[in-house]
Order: sequence, then C-alpha cells, then structure tokens
Amino acid sequence: MKITALLTSGLIALSLAGCSSSQDSPPQSEERLELQSSPPSTQEAAVEKPSSEGLSLVAEQKGIKPVTLEIPAIGVTSDIENVGELENGQMGVPEGVDNVGWFEPGTLPGNRGSSVMAGHIDSLTGPAVFYKLDQLKKGDEVVVKDAEGKSLTFIVTKTERYPRKDAPIDEIFGFSYGSRLNLITCTGEFNRKAKTHEERLVVYTELADQDSEG
Amino acid sequence: MNYKKLAAIPLSVSLLFPMGAIANAADNSGHGTSSMAVSNPATDLRATLDSILSEHAYLAIIAMQKGIDGSKDFDAAAAQLGENTDELSAAIGSVYGDDAANQFKEIWGSHIGYFVEYVKATAANDEEGRKKAVSELDGYRVTQAKFLDTATEGRLKAKDLEEGLKMHVDQLIWAFDNYNAGEYEKAYEGITESMMHMFGTGKGISWAITDQFPDKFDKMSVDTPAADLREQLNNQFSTHAALAILAMQKGIDGAKDFDVSAAELNGNTEDLTKSIESVYGAEGAKQFNDIWSSHIGYFVDYVKATAGDDAEGQKAAMANLDDYRVKQAAFLETATEGRLKAADLEEGLKVHVDQLLAAFNKYHDGDYDGAYDDIHEAYSHMFGVGTMMAGAIVDQYPDKFAGSMPADMPKTGLGGMSQESNDSTVMWILTSLILAMAAGAVVIRKTRTENN
Repeated sequence: MKITALLTSGLIALSLAGCSSSQDSPPQSEERLELQSSPPSTQEAAVEKPSSEGLSLVAEQKGIKPVTLEIPAIGVTSDIENVGELENGQMGVPEGVDNVGWFEPGTLPGNRGSSVMAGHIDSLTGPAVFYKLDQLKKGDEVVVKDAEGKSLTFIVTKTERYPRKDAPIDEIFGFSYGSRLNLITCTGEFNRKAKTHEERLVVYTELADQDSEG
Repeated sequence: MNYKKLAAIPLSVSLLFPMGAIANAADNSGHGTSSMAVSNPATDLRATLDSILSEHAYLAIIAMQKGIDGSKDFDAAAAQLGENTDELSAAIGSVYGDDAANQFKEIWGSHIGYFVEYVKATAANDEEGRKKAVSELDGYRVTQAKFLDTATEGRLKAKDLEEGLKMHVDQLIWAFDNYNAGEYEKAYEGITESMMHMFGTGKGISWAITDQFPDKFDKMSVDTPAADLREQLNNQFSTHAALAILAMQKGIDGAKDFDVSAAELNGNTEDLTKSIESVYGAEGAKQFNDIWSSHIGYFVDYVKATAGDDAEGQKAAMANLDDYRVKQAAFLETATEGRLKAADLEEGLKVHVDQLLAAFNKYHDGDYDGAYDDIHEAYSHMFGVGTMMAGAIVDQYPDKFAGSMPADMPKTGLGGMSQESNDSTVMWILTSLILAMAAGAVVIRKTRTENN
C-alpha cells in the first residue's frame, strides 16, 4: 500500500470521524458568531493593556521527585528508594524494609497518570513499613515530599486486593487524566514454597487540591 | 436548559466513528511503517480527538483575531469553527448517543459564544462586558466538566476537568489580549501553547472512553510511548501547517504581526528539529532543519511574488517547492532506512504544498470559505504525516518504545508476620508438627519458652 494512499485514507478517516461534514451550522452559534457587524476595527485610544496577568499560559508542572512518604493515619514516615523493573518482570522493591520503593520509570507523583510505590508488609522477622496499609480508609491522607521539602497530599479513594498473579497492571500503573499515587504491599497468606504472599493489596489515592501546600 | 438530564445519558454506544475507515487508515500492508503499536483503534481515537480539539483552539484564536480586526474572512473563520464544533459533537455522539451529542454541542457552543462576547466587549472598550464574559466562561467550565464527568462515569473527574478547561480559556484570552495589545510574541506563543494543550485533553478523553468501552477498542491503550511519539509529531506537524497558513495571510496583508508569526513558525521548525535529533542525532537534525526551512522560505517567496503581481516569481517559488519535495523525500527515505519510500513521500509532500498554496490563493482571491476548508484539510493532513513518521521510527527503533510498566507486581513481603498458606509443603510441615506435639514434643517447647 502506498503512503499516499495511507495519508489519503487517514484524511478520510479523520473527516469521516466527525460523521457529518456538517454544512448545517448550529443556529445558536451562527447567532453568536455574527460578530463581524458590530466590532469597529478602530481600536482607537487603545484598549488598555491585556488583563492577562493572572492567567496561566503553560500548565504548572506539579510532579515532584519523591524522597519521603508520610501516612499519618497508620504512623508511616519513610524514606523513598527508586526502584525499576526486575529481570523477571516484577516491579522492584526497596532494599530497606522500612523504606518505600517508588517505580521510577513511571510517573512522577503529582503528574497526570499513576505514580506507584511499593513497601514490604513484613520482614523475615517482623512487621515492615506497610504492615498496616490495609487499615487505610477512604479519605485518609498520604503526603509525599521532595528533597526541597515541597509536598503533595493525596487522598485515599479505595483499597483493592488481587491474587498475586492476577492484578490489573494497566489500572495500577497506567494513565489517568487526574494524578494518582497507588501504594502496593503484600497481603493474604504467605506461600513458603513460592516465598511470597498470595495476594497484593493496592491502595489507590488521588491528588488533593493543593491550595495550602507548596 | 436542564443539565440534570446529564445524569441520564444513554450509553447507546452504537459505536464510535466509522471504525472501518480508521482501520483502513491504519492498514499498512507490506510497508511496516505503521505498526499496531502506533495505530490501533485506541490510538486512532486519541489522534482523532487531538486533531479536532487542537484545530478548535487554532480556529478560535484566529476567529478572535479576525473579529477584533474586523477582517473580511471573519465569517468564514467563525463558520469553520462552527463546523469543528459539529465534528466534535458527532464524535461525542458516536460514543454516547445523539442526546449526549446535542447536550455537548449546546455546552461547547456556549463557550465559543462567550469568547465572541469577550471580543465584542473588548472592541467596545466595555470592561463590564469583558468581566461578564469571563464570569460566563467560569460557569461554562463547571457545566462542561460535569458533562464529561457524568458521561465517562467519573473516569474524568470534574475537578481535574475544570482545571484543564481553565487552562484552555486562559490561553485563548491570553493570546487574544496580547494580540490586541500588540504584544505579538506573547500572542503567538499563546497559539502554539493552546494547540499543544488540547493534545492533553484529547489523551484524557480518549483514555476515559477506551477504559469505559475496552471491547470496542481491542482492549488497546491510548497511553504508550509509541502513541505519545505519534501525537508529539502530529502536534508539531499540524502546528507547522497552522502557523504557515497564518504567516502567509499576515504576509500578504502586510500585517504588523507578520514578523512574529514567521518567527513562531521558525520556532516550530526548531521543535520539529529537536524531535528529529532525538531519533536521528545532531547531524541528521541539521540536514532536516536546512531542508525543512528551505520550503518555508519558498512559501515566503511565493507570498512576496503574489504581493508584487509577479507571476514569474510565483512560478520560480513553485519550482523551488518541487525541488524541495525531492530533497525532503530523499532525506526521510534515507533516515528511515527505506521504511518510507521517496516516491510516496514526494506525493504526500505535494499534497501538503498544494493545500497550503490553495488556502493562500483562495484567501488572496477573497474566497474565504474555500480558504478555510483548505486550512482544515491542510491541518488534518498533518496527522497522517505524524502517524506515518512515528510508524517508521517505532519500527526502526522498537527498543526506544518499550512500555514503562512492569510485567508483574512486586514481591513486598518476606513472611515474618504471616500465616502459612496451605499448599502441600505447608500441610506437611503442619502435620509433622501436630504429630510431634502428639508425641510430647510440646513439653520441650514449653519448657524452653519458660526459660526465655
């Protein structure tokens, strides 16, 4: 197939996508758009300078590089390690059981999409940073800070449990129009043979309005 | 108008756009230039919405400029903006049904009306009128956000939408106010930014729709590195077409903002060059920049010749544009290692050149409706170009477009606080333990515990 044909059909697809090529403009917009009759092109004495001071031209980048995580409701204050994807395809985990691992190839907390952090529920001998993660309730706060102390607050929206081999990766790690921070730990019974828990707990949070915070 | 009806949007989902046509567009039999990674039902939806939404921003700004200037092509620009609203409403209708399409059209159309009021008030030095228009736009944001939140069943949150819509409104007002004040650099920066902003909106809406109706989109995602590249290139190429046409209009009119419009067009060339550099390196980027810039120069020559009634000059410019097509096509064939064929590229580039010249000639001849139809065609055409380029690049460097999601969940527990699950090993251990206890071993354990 030729590229031109590709381009042409792409064009057709684009114009067809509207379904109607619509010669019939909406009556209300015609009425509103009859501007041309009224505005005089004589902008004498200059309309004063634009009032655009308070307006934003470029979207403020809210995303921060996270270094600490606080979850007051369950007494968590933790340092954050950057983690990636392991060779076996699993998301990496923090080396310290009291630390939280931020999935660094993914989204910055505060940006559009899902930022993901994982923490251990337990060590070989006792509880770890996310031991009480399942106690979080809708509305609880999760606070992330960067190295400069700039903080973002996220609000818990829901908690889900998934079988360890059947979690919706796309939903947890994928795009969203709003800004999410999803926290993962293990839950369920520990399978000694597989050396892992049978389930994963995911706490979903969304960015709160940041009117009071940096 | 009763927006409470919104809650009852029938999800007729007759479905979405003529998928057959889109599938054909995505068909790349034999070329390997447009893999499923780049073009699939989900990413095609994203590209379609990006195209309509970003053209809305462009046409709205142009119509506002033409409105305040009392230009002869104002009506045609405004009518094209109205057609764009129809196109967007039809797209919404293909997902959510006719009632929803009508509601959407009424809401969306209202904000265009408020912009018109803002322009009128500005023209009349009516500060109160401007404030009223801004306050109506504030109300619009809430209504529009609520509509989309309801339609997408909360996938798009009203709070986030209102923020995005505020950005859109602010950008358009910014571009207009600065144009009106003669702050042309800011005005043109506003054009580029406001078009780019709509690609975020298109991604958000297409994400919500494909998440809502995954089966209708082969369960494909709009959010992949390949799709992001496609839309980045679509954005840059379509902005090129939009700014080129505008600069040609400003040039022939001898408008005060011509220089700045041309500078913004050159800024777009730099953006495109950076994209090329990120794939093909500095040397390739420099070659691209030289060739691409040359065709902008030939368009300028054509405009100058037209202004001087110089038919020979026009011919010379067109001959140079023919040469340009050959060079540009050869460059892209080489860069993509033959994934894009020079002959096909030359034809595609001819479409682009012809569309721009036609749009300009009709504008010059006073056929404004024809000019804006051509502008729409020229704008939409660039989305095919971006898709084609992205297809070749992704095919050439698949490693650069690996996803950023892990394949599997993390292993976040070592078992120190957990009960054992009842697989066979564990059962065996438990059984042994019970037997051991039965054998009296429990006594030893008890003693030891007491000693501790």
